[in-house]
Amino acid sequence: MTTASAIDIGGPAIARDSLWRTLRGSLKSSEYVWALAFLVPYIAVFFVFVVYPAGYGMWLGSKPSLYLDLLSDPIYQSTIVNTVLFLGIAVNLKMFCALLLSGFFMRPGWWVKGMLMIFVLPWAVPALPEFISIHWMLNGEWGLLNNVFYALFNVDGPSWLNERWLALGSAMYAHIWKNLPFWTIILLAGRMSIPTEIRDAAKVDGATGIRSFLYISFPLLANLYLICTLLSTIFTLGDFNSVTFISGGGPANSTHVLATLGIRDAFDLANPRLGVAAVMSALPVMIPLVIILMRKLKTAEVQL
Amino acid sequence: MAILTRRSVVRGSLGLIAAGTFARPFIANAAATTAEVWFAQGFVPEEDAAFKTMAAAYEKASGNKIDYSLIPFAALRQKAISAITSGVVPDMIELADFQLGPLQAWDDKLTDVSDVVEPVKSQYVQGALPCTYLYNSVTKKRGYCAIPMKIAAVPFHIWKSLVEKGGGKIADLPKTWDAFMDFFKPVQKGLRAAGMRNVYGMGYQLTATGVDPINTFNAWMIAYGGQGLITPDGKLHSDDPHIKEAVIKTIVNLSTAFKDGYVPPGCVNWNDADDNNAFHSKLMVMDFDGTISTEVALYHEKEKYDDILTHGLPLSNEGKELPSQVNLFGPVIPKGAKNVAVAKEFGKYMIQPKVLNEYLKAGLGRWALPIPEIVKSDPFWLKEDPHRTAYTTQSVLAPTMPIYEAYNPAIAQVGAENAFMSAVIAVMKDGAKPEAEADKALKRAETIFAKYPIASS
Amino acid sequence: MTVTIAQGRPASAKALPAERMRRAARRRYYLTETAALTFSFFLMIWTLTPLYNMVMVSLESHGDVFTDAIWPPDPSVASFWVVISEGYWYLEYFWHQFGNSLYAGFMVTFFTLLIGSLASFSIGRMRIRHGWLISNAALLTYVIPASFLAIPFYRIMQSYGLNNNLWSVISAQVTFATPYAIFIFSQYSRGIPLELDESARIDGASPIQIYYRIYLPLMVPALVAIGTYALLLSWNEYLYQFLLLSNKQSMTVPVALAQFLNSDEAPWNYMMATAIVYAIPPAAVYYIFRNRMVGGLTAGGVKG
Repeated sequence: MTTASAIDIGGPAIARDSLWRTLRGSLKSSEYVWALAFLVPYIAVFFVFVVYPAGYGMWLGSKPSLYLDLLSDPIYQSTIVNTVLFLGIAVNLKMFCALLLSGFFMRPGWWVKGMLMIFVLPWAVPALPEFISIHWMLNGEWGLLNNVFYALFNVDGPSWLNERWLALGSAMYAHIWKNLPFWTIILLAGRMSIPTEIRDAAKVDGATGIRSFLYISFPLLANLYLICTLLSTIFTLGDFNSVTFISGGGPANSTHVLATLGIRDAFDLANPRLGVAAVMSALPVMIPLVIILMRKLKTAEVQL
Repeated sequence: MAILTRRSVVRGSLGLIAAGTFARPFIANAAATTAEVWFAQGFVPEEDAAFKTMAAAYEKASGNKIDYSLIPFAALRQKAISAITSGVVPDMIELADFQLGPLQAWDDKLTDVSDVVEPVKSQYVQGALPCTYLYNSVTKKRGYCAIPMKIAAVPFHIWKSLVEKGGGKIADLPKTWDAFMDFFKPVQKGLRAAGMRNVYGMGYQLTATGVDPINTFNAWMIAYGGQGLITPDGKLHSDDPHIKEAVIKTIVNLSTAFKDGYVPPGCVNWNDADDNNAFHSKLMVMDFDGTISTEVALYHEKEKYDDILTHGLPLSNEGKELPSQVNLFGPVIPKGAKNVAVAKEFGKYMIQPKVLNEYLKAGLGRWALPIPEIVKSDPFWLKEDPHRTAYTTQSVLAPTMPIYEAYNPAIAQVGAENAFMSAVIAVMKDGAKPEAEADKALKRAETIFAKYPIASS
Repeated sequence: MTVTIAQGRPASAKALPAERMRRAARRRYYLTETAALTFSFFLMIWTLTPLYNMVMVSLESHGDVFTDAIWPPDPSVASFWVVISEGYWYLEYFWHQFGNSLYAGFMVTFFTLLIGSLASFSIGRMRIRHGWLISNAALLTYVIPASFLAIPFYRIMQSYGLNNNLWSVISAQVTFATPYAIFIFSQYSRGIPLELDESARIDGASPIQIYYRIYLPLMVPALVAIGTYALLLSWNEYLYQFLLLSNKQSMTVPVALAQFLNSDEAPWNYMMATAIVYAIPPAAVYYIFRNRMVGGLTAGGVKG
């Protein structure tokens, strides 16, 4: 403990000491050094590979005239519409199906486990060949899907990739097909972590099937579901594989989303700054999403 | 350098004499240096092998090293843009597309290579030479920015057997433009009657991405008299009524063929490979696509190879010979390259007529040789193979004109946005009016051209 | 199977009520099982159709790919032999490139686990002051779409001299995998009581010993789950490998696959065969670790 006179003498030293103490919080000094050391690798990675490139990227996209160019691009508006639709429909449909499927995979039986293994294949197999396969499958003239329609029903299926809305729907389909297994597993894990005592107690009280879901599972999963939806929205905004390989942004550039528009501006129009600006124009939506996500994660005791 | 002793002088002069006997413009480098070179990967392995041989020959002759990467076309484009934007560039990049060269030259991002090209410019196809003579907006002057090596034109590819099967005769192929296109319509009807469910008379890219739709639209527009859309001084003549009429006629012709069902519906969404796939699987009788890669891909299937007819451009409806738009291109040396000297030297080596001829011949002639004299004298080009004959004639000997991008890079952006083909698609699918769409496209072109003022010299 | 506990009923019911209820229960059971089986059938079709298309193309001969067949007319495994024996010019260095992919995958896994676990140990266990800043900042990595960072990354890798080097791709992929790893590790470790760390500390263990002896062994399920995730992320990734690797010696298999897209006319059957061979390792890894995958994603752990 210090006395008044000691404080006068040791003023600066104590100030330094308090700063050190505030920094390290409840950790002992030596431990604090360890804690820092453990954190340094990630901080280094973060600064070198996230902060610096992001900063450089934002500098590339910082000229205001770029945004005017962007607005005058004839396809920018339809791109925004596509992006909103893609996020709204694909993400929510995917998460809802994941919720239902996670319930399905809770069923007992060896064949359900076998199904789960097959079900995960789309996620485990690399994206590039899968999407090209889907692109061929949906070809209006010789694709597998239309061949099957013709063989079964003797009708010519529609040209899936030649109409704007069909093509956009096809891209959404590919996106959902690829990513559904991942979110299903996450929600399944969430369900499995609901303690069995709660479920058994509910069963004794007569709550089974749908009732069990509505009153027991869903409230406990709700938070997880919301966080997954937010995360998925953020990931999907950056998903450029689906649209690129399925519809190529066509027909006539009508199915572009912001992620693919950025690449098209950067490499097809040979205007990288415009490409960066296209992606940055999504920030006003992204940043609130991320803030909400971070707040949810901080407060919730989430089973993920 | 070490002190000049008599021995070193003798050695040096012997070296120079040795270099001189090759009759090649070499600097006998005392310190061999390395140049980093990016070239496009070929579409057949023979093209890559040919490049490797040529690079090895250069290395042996000069003592320098070429550190080359053969990169697929799409990736090369992306890497080129990334490199030039970030400022970390290799010494030489082959720019095989239309747009990158003119746009980078405009921004003063390319080293001027006039000292490489000027001495030998008379050896080239004169109609195509302006392709590499590009405008620099910083120096406000034109200069040679690419080292011309390969030339590409857009021919028609026709399945002879399908024509016969559909009741037509190849010998009856009309000579004028509209009649030529209409020839394929009854052929399609005949083929459908004969039981081929999925077959169409004509095929061309009606998409809004890539360069193929640009080629298609331009060819039709030039056929209808719209050649002067952009004049060599770089000016856009969008208010010329003849040009407007040509544009409208093109839109009408292309969209009507589609609406009437003579073009595969999938063509609105074809990527680069899709039209070739479609043609090879006999989905259509005729394809309008750049270079003879369509045929060369079937080189090892003799029967199919011989079944395809390569045909140049028909005459205009008035019977006049039409110039083919050709792209004469080659590698560029970006600004900021570390070893410009060796890059230029390699360039000089490659465009020597004999070397270039050997290189392109080994690549199965997919790219034509832009040197008329050798084309006429070496039997490979005009005597050995009917496809090559037709293609080489079209791109080197028949009347040619450069792609519009050479005159003004603004059209590169218009092309990248595919403003004109978007007009065609709007008429085709959304029922828009051709005149209105033509106006819209021309207006968009004007807006873009306003950003690229070229000082008249 | 649902079991309802019958409550007391008047004995004047018609047939034996227990008998009737058992029959009804059995009927319900068969109905739901049939429904589940039917559903599974459609789920299989949904999952497997694009994959079937891939397999079909790989078994067909080149000319048959674009016909209206639903089943390969002349199936042969010749394409696979071409891939395995490197018998086509695009596949000249296939095994070398496969090795590159494996090497990159394992390095990404190793470094993601190492950096992620160290960081989450420091933030979650040692509770370093303001640690939450780091974990939230990490999530910001995902806000920035990969397409945005492509050109800045390219520039950075060039200036670090990592041109055409696998480490450029490894760094990029570790950057994108680690935030999620930190996140999962933090969540999972909440199920491990802090008292364990405390008692170890009292016994005189240094932080690194706690990390090594207590933390890591208890985190094994999460480590396995994230390891699998990181490996799949690296295996699935395309954009950065495509941009940063250009010569045949340094390429990975996805870049080699993209070569097929370069050509006007490529042997698609070889491409799909290559893709299938390439898809085997991640599918195998997932198969081996599937139980841990789900377990590791729950905060089950030790109940306190």
